[in-house]
Parts: sequence; C-alpha cells; structure tokens
Amino acid sequence: MQSIEKPWNSGGTQPGLVILDPPRSGSDNMAIDEALIEKARPDWPIVLRVYQWERPTLSIGHFQRIEDRKNSPSLTDLPWVRRKTGGGAIVHDCELTYSIVVPNRGEKAMKGPNQTLYRAIHTRFVQELGAIGLNTQLSESCTCSTNTPQTSEPFLCFSRRSPVDLLIGQDKILGSAQRRTSTGILQHGSFLLRRTQSTPHLAGLLDHTSGAANQFDLAQWQNFFITTLKKGLSQLLQVQWQNGKLIDLPSPGGNEVSNLWFSELDD
Amino acid sequence: MSITPDKLRYCQSHEWAYVADPSTEIATIGISAFAVEELTDLVFMALPKVGQTVSAGSEFGEVESVKAVSPMYSPVSGTVVEVHTALVDKLESLNLDPYNEGWIIKVHMSDPAELSKLLDWDAYQKQCNQ
Repeated sequence: MQSIEKPWNSGGTQPGLVILDPPRSGSDNMAIDEALIEKARPDWPIVLRVYQWERPTLSIGHFQRIEDRKNSPSLTDLPWVRRKTGGGAIVHDCELTYSIVVPNRGEKAMKGPNQTLYRAIHTRFVQELGAIGLNTQLSESCTCSTNTPQTSEPFLCFSRRSPVDLLIGQDKILGSAQRRTSTGILQHGSFLLRRTQSTPHLAGLLDHTSGAANQFDLAQWQNFFITTLKKGLSQLLQVQWQNGKLIDLPSPGGNEVSNLWFSELDD
Repeated sequence: MSITPDKLRYCQSHEWAYVADPSTEIATIGISAFAVEELTDLVFMALPKVGQTVSAGSEFGEVESVKAVSPMYSPVSGTVVEVHTALVDKLESLNLDPYNEGWIIKVHMSDPAELSKLLDWDAYQKQCNQ
C-alpha cells in the first residue's frame, strides 16, 4: 500500500514543471504518464502535464473490462487505451486532460486520505469557475462503496459520482483518479467542456453556459485549466512553477519509455 | 482463535504478517485496519495465483479505492500457497475484520528470518500516529 506520507506538508518550496503537450495518440499519452510515475525520483519536480488526443479516444480505468464498452454501441468504434489509474472510462473528446505526478520524497508510509489531492484541486475549480460566474459544486455523494460490486457502477466516469467530483447542475464536468506507487502519486483528470458525439447524454461545462463563457476558445480554456490546477496544488504545496517540455519521447508504439525525460524550456 | 493486531508484524507500507505455527513456515498476510480506513471504500482487489513467488517488499496485488489504485507489498519472501479469492466479492470483510476474515494470501516463507525486520505492534502504532 506504500504511498506518500504528507507530501503536502514537506515544508519548503518544491520545484514544479508545467508541460503543455501537443495532441498525441492514446498509447503515447498513457506511456508518457506511466513513465513519469515509474521513473519518478525523490529529486524530481512535481510534473503537471496538460494534454490532448490526436483523435477521440476511450480510456478505461485500470480494473475495468474492455468488453463492457460493448454495452454502449457508440463507444465500440473508438480507439481505446487502458489507464494506470482507477475509476471509469472517459471519452477524450471536447475535454481537457491533465496528469500530475507528485514524487515520493522518501517517506514510507501512507498518511492522509486518498481524497486530499482530489479535493484541493476540485475545490479550486469551484472557486475559479465561480469567479467567472459559473456556479459549480462538489458532488459529495458516491455511486460506489465497498458493499457495491464494481461491475454495477456505470461504465463511464462522467456517469459515476464520487464525493469530490465537480458538478454543474446535476452534470459531472471534472473527475480525477489516481495511482499510488512507491515512487509517488499519479493523478489523472478530465474536464468535460462539451457533449461528445459518442456520449451525447453527458453535458459538459459549455452546454450549461451562454454568452461570453460559451465561446469555445480552446486556448483560453486551456489557460484557465492550467492556472486553476496550479492554484489547486498550491493549496497543498509550495510550488515554484516553470514551463517545461518532454524530450526523447517514447517510440511510436508507445511501449518504449526508457528514454523519456523532460527539461525546462529555454525561453 | 481470533488474531489480534498486537500479535502481528507490519511493513511500513501497512501490510501485516502472522505466523500461527512457526514449524509450518506459513505466513498469513493482509492489510492493516489503519490502511483500510485511510483507503476508504474499497471496490476492487487483484490477487496473485497459488504457486506465484513473492519477495519481501515486492508487489503481490493491487487494490482500488475511490478511483485510486494502490499496490500491496509482501512482507516476506516465498511462494503463495493459498489465496483468499472469496475476499474479492466481499471486500467489506476488510472493514469489519481485517485481521481474520480479511486475510489476503498465505505464503510459504523462504526466509522466515525476514519477519524480524518487520515492525512490531508498538512500532507500527507509533508510525501510524506520527
């Protein structure tokens, strides 16, 4: 069960790297995140990676059965990839995706509930969206429990509810999931902007808005997304952020991650 | 006879080991009540197969709770001789009785001396209270 002990109370300022990554295939996106957590070392910065997908792609949770997508015909033609993190399946289309890797600084024992990192970030989204006139709240309810078989949960993440999910009205627009290892915590999250062709029943943020906020300016929302994620993390950690980039990327097959590295941007 | 937490040895990563009869060299392994409480709602567990070898400190399974996947590490080295497969369908046992009904695997130890490297109850409690 090893994971991080109070990474949020380690004292002092920690370095952080923000990577705004271009669209990639599902396998490359997941291979990069897998490499970031598997290769994380105590002296690595916190890495916040914001990215997109070359084409609409279904990512399924670590323990989900891929056969279950066949219950939703609109999902069967999508390319798919398995995440290292838990939770339900996500159609990566009309949304923004992030991954955060918080390296283990050498602590051995798990401390603090799983939800600490989720809650800090999602609460910040409530605040920042509120500041631009969009009323959202945390779900504070759950469709899962130890007494409920996982197979009875909805297949799609945005149809599920956990207490820290971000809702606008009754619609979930931000969900996150984690993998905890001896090297650190990987947290994935998806911010749904609009309904997708594959999931027209799942409304995104902009399906609830009108006027200026309804303008689909991807760069603007990406900037909002990154700023809010950084502020959310800063509620837990003192982070000195710099922009960065990935170098020596995995092979096109997505399986060779040994050369992955990152650096600060020169400019 | 019921196993009580003060009779167990612990990893820093919150797994426990219990040897009922040292002559058998069989260790029963599970996760602590503290870990179960911190993880909150457990929804899925992946377990090893009988015959699989494990080494002390290496991953032997995974558990998912509140969308977080966490590995479980073996406190000892050896061969898995029994797996509590029924636990996967009744994970609430871990909340109710993590040291008896919530046992996870049994391992035939290849090096029983490894047990001495684990924390006793007092040391483990101290770690949890830090």
